[in-house]
Amino acid sequence: MKYVGKSIQRIDAFEKVTGSAEYAGDIELPGMLYTKLLLSPYAHAKIKSIDFSDALKVPGVITIAIGEDFPFRIGLYVNDRNILARKKVRWVGEPVAAVVAENLEAAEEAIELIKVDYEPLPPVLDVRDALKPDAPLVHEELGEYAHSPAFNPIPGTNIANRFVVKKGNVEEGFKKSDVIVENEFLMPQVSHVPMEPHTCIGQYMKDGSIKIWTSAQSPFAIRYILGYSLGVPLHKISVYVPYVGGGFGGKAGINFEPLVVLLSKKAGYRPVKLELTREEQFMVAPVRQGFYGKIKTGVTRDGKIMAEKILYVFDAGAYADYGVNIGRAAGYSCTGPYYVPNLEGESLTVYTNHPWGTAFRGFGHFEFLWAIERQMEIVAAEIGMDPIEFRLKNALLPGLTTPTGEKLREDAGRIDQCIKAVAEKIGWGTPPVKITPNKIRAKGIAALWKAPAMPPNAASSAIIKLNEDGTFLLSVGVTEIGQGTVTALAQIVAEELSVPVEKIKVVPFRHTDLTPYSWQTVASRNLFMEGRAVIRAARDVKEQILEVASQVLRVPKDDLEIEDEKVYVKGRPEWSLQLKDIAAGYVYPNGNTIGGPIIGRGYYVGSRLTYLDPETGQGYPALKWTFGAQAVEIELDTETGEIKILKLVSAFDVGKAINPMLVEGQIVGGCVQSISLGMWEEYKYDKNGRMINPNLTDYKIARAGDIPEEHIVVIIENPQKDGPYGARGVGELSMLSVPPAIANAIFHATGVNINNLPLSFENIWKALKEKR
Amino acid sequence: MSQNKNINLGYINLFNTHIIPVKFNYHAPQTLEEALNLLNKLKDKARVIAGGTDLIVDMKLRRKEPEHVVSLNKIRELDYITVDSLGVKIGAIVKLRKIEKEKIIRERFPALYEALKSMASIQVRNMGTMVGNICNASPAADTAPPLLIYNATLTAKSLNNERKIPIEEFFKAPGKTALKEDELVTEIFIPYPPQDSHSTFLKITRVGMDLSKVSIAVLTKFNGSIIEDIRIALGAVAPTPLRIRRAEEFLKNKPLTEENLKIVQEIVAKEIKPITDVRSTEWYRREVAKVLVKDALMKCLEEEGGR
Repeated sequence: MKYVGKSIQRIDAFEKVTGSAEYAGDIELPGMLYTKLLLSPYAHAKIKSIDFSDALKVPGVITIAIGEDFPFRIGLYVNDRNILARKKVRWVGEPVAAVVAENLEAAEEAIELIKVDYEPLPPVLDVRDALKPDAPLVHEELGEYAHSPAFNPIPGTNIANRFVVKKGNVEEGFKKSDVIVENEFLMPQVSHVPMEPHTCIGQYMKDGSIKIWTSAQSPFAIRYILGYSLGVPLHKISVYVPYVGGGFGGKAGINFEPLVVLLSKKAGYRPVKLELTREEQFMVAPVRQGFYGKIKTGVTRDGKIMAEKILYVFDAGAYADYGVNIGRAAGYSCTGPYYVPNLEGESLTVYTNHPWGTAFRGFGHFEFLWAIERQMEIVAAEIGMDPIEFRLKNALLPGLTTPTGEKLREDAGRIDQCIKAVAEKIGWGTPPVKITPNKIRAKGIAALWKAPAMPPNAASSAIIKLNEDGTFLLSVGVTEIGQGTVTALAQIVAEELSVPVEKIKVVPFRHTDLTPYSWQTVASRNLFMEGRAVIRAARDVKEQILEVASQVLRVPKDDLEIEDEKVYVKGRPEWSLQLKDIAAGYVYPNGNTIGGPIIGRGYYVGSRLTYLDPETGQGYPALKWTFGAQAVEIELDTETGEIKILKLVSAFDVGKAINPMLVEGQIVGGCVQSISLGMWEEYKYDKNGRMINPNLTDYKIARAGDIPEEHIVVIIENPQKDGPYGARGVGELSMLSVPPAIANAIFHATGVNINNLPLSFENIWKALKEKR
Repeated sequence: MSQNKNINLGYINLFNTHIIPVKFNYHAPQTLEEALNLLNKLKDKARVIAGGTDLIVDMKLRRKEPEHVVSLNKIRELDYITVDSLGVKIGAIVKLRKIEKEKIIRERFPALYEALKSMASIQVRNMGTMVGNICNASPAADTAPPLLIYNATLTAKSLNNERKIPIEEFFKAPGKTALKEDELVTEIFIPYPPQDSHSTFLKITRVGMDLSKVSIAVLTKFNGSIIEDIRIALGAVAPTPLRIRRAEEFLKNKPLTEENLKIVQEIVAKEIKPITDVRSTEWYRREVAKVLVKDALMKCLEEEGGR
């Protein structure tokens, strides 16, 4: 292959490094207004009254909106969200009012003059408390919310979704087990910390149509949800998305777009822009949900897992419109990449008065794999088995069934190969070494898996146009959020049509009026699904080229070949046409024209995916499973709890690396995020549920200096036959399971089990102290 | 523009960065004399800016809302590093990064060099100044412990006066110094440490580039196995960076035995007054301070040739 499998530079590199790439924040429109939000200082309180009469008097203020102005609910899966808080506030930071003004200075001044009278209510600040029968309700009207049939909210409780998976007979399985091990695990809420905070512009037009410019992952989801909630037909809504400065899931679904659109209407149909500050990004924008897990594993002495009983509880925060799918995804993958014959899994998405949760790269999986991969290590130690051997003994290989009863396909990825690869490269099998009295070096590994968490009907499509000079335009709905999918898609077009990548432009923005449909840019689904759609679109283009060429060259279509921007008769390259000569119709010397502009299209939906049985969770949720493993060597200072990651090894079975350099880039970036989330990131609250570290001074993320000195990336390629050139997704996968690998290394170094994240130096130190 | 007095929503707004919403007058004097004249006139209505890495952040958070900002950046006469037979003099607007790159700093003042290298990011060090770091008087100021062990002296000037302030007398409380409102620190003088002494700087942070949870600078001079000169200073463990005189007095003229080390650790733990905040707990800070004292002393001992 000439283009697929090659490490070409990403097609958007020049634009991005020179600063010429367009982002939502760059967009300024004539007559544009700016909005600033008044945020709730209470985690849970009744709004008794709002007085903004003084604020309206500030020069430059156009209008002020409060919740009652916008009596609509929005949401991706559960319609539970208000545009602005109505009747009560549900987290510290919930927008209560919005000021629209000619400039931000006026908006800021006005915000400070709004008086809100609150009546504080008892807040729910721990997800375990939220499940107690007498817990205050975050959503009293849960029963009235519209929701997707795939979800199961329980009115009268704080449970936004209950997902259950049942397989085999758990009681029997535990009876056959020699050892039963039960543990609990915790993880705090975290922020996506995108380099570009949430930014959007909305304009309500006088004819009732709507225009949106936004930093978002999913323009079509925004259009659909907005149309549904406001009762506006979709052809009247346009959503424009330029390059996105990082999404990581936080810009999936729908966020502040409805707010700016409605503010625009209230402000006299002028465009209204919202740009969050970094601090607002922490407090107002959605977060990754918190997590509590309890796992009970039954195992035989010779290391076979017989049964598992699993409870996952997700702290969804104030709203769970997207969050419900996180619990569901964790539920149907709950065992990790292992075969468990007897299983009872329950995964709850639970409302609290914390900031609202949403998708986060690898959602559900980063959380539960922390629990599963720690549990695997603990169980292996209990039965005195090498943890690698234990994992391999229970590896979910092709032919075995997943928690939902899906038989893993013959051409699925291979978890055993991933585990063996990282074990070999990290040099598994040597005991921890004391290099000074207080410094120990030790190794740890952890495995992972994930399938796209999406509804069975999630679709993708592509359009390829041949320009008059023989160059091509590829248009796809996947947004460029940094992941690089569009470069791989351009390589696929180049391969299919045998044209150099430089002659293919991927349209650098998404516009729902022009761009072909894509459900969302999430779930590591887009290379696979857009990839398939692009192949089909390219073959459609090819077919149209051959149709015209066969008439001009007077040979049947199957005697023609397309190569190097020409179409020619096989074995007779001298009988040829340049692609540009048929791009807009072929013109004979006398002016007669045949054919016409060539526009190829293709679509893709997953094959034979199903909704899951509401009672047992059985069914086919997975487009593809990607497997991987991580291994670390750490140096631990037992006196201070400081750890250094000396070496990191990552292996993923990606099926086929369309662009190995980009795969490696995704893996390195994902692992740094994984280390950061595992070791430092954490929403810290005071006793009233107020976040006390909403800034980058005290919410620490990894920087260049925190990247491991040595990182070995192993790309394994067992192709999946229905993937584009055999490829599977890896974007999210790369950030899974580094934290349990680190904690497992700490366990081997000291015998201390740490089951709560983050693995900050101080937390490690505390855990070591408690043991002594 | 209104001042941020609204308690009802003050919580959020205290955390949020703003476009600096208050009007202020910006002064960029060309000479020191002009600057001192301005301060003499404006007194506490003015804030001095050099690198701005602290002041601008505080202004965006509305923690400080000065009516006047006096920039020192155009005053070329404050941009110097001079080396003579007694030590090094550093002007008020010399960037941290420039000091760090100075050969004499690396060779003769290793604790200061290590501290500079560990501060923030290169980008921030290209902006910030050492005089600024000191005048901001954060308990966690990384250059403070090294300057304390090197017995640095600050030159404070006002329109009609000039005085020398030993660094140990400079810090009064978090954000508070011995400076009068019309005074400017124009120079830091750092005398050479004693011949054959060793000094080092260590700190504990959350991530690689971060504010210190605990920082320490130690200087030792051995005479055989006996400690002849000893200086210990810590940061981020009390309202101000501080010398631990009691520990120094204890160790002086004694060998650095395991037993003495333990006693010094306990003295340090008693002398410091760490707090629990969003970055760390009092417990951890105190315990880790003990570890750092030991590590820093052992490092000096190793450099001496190990005993």
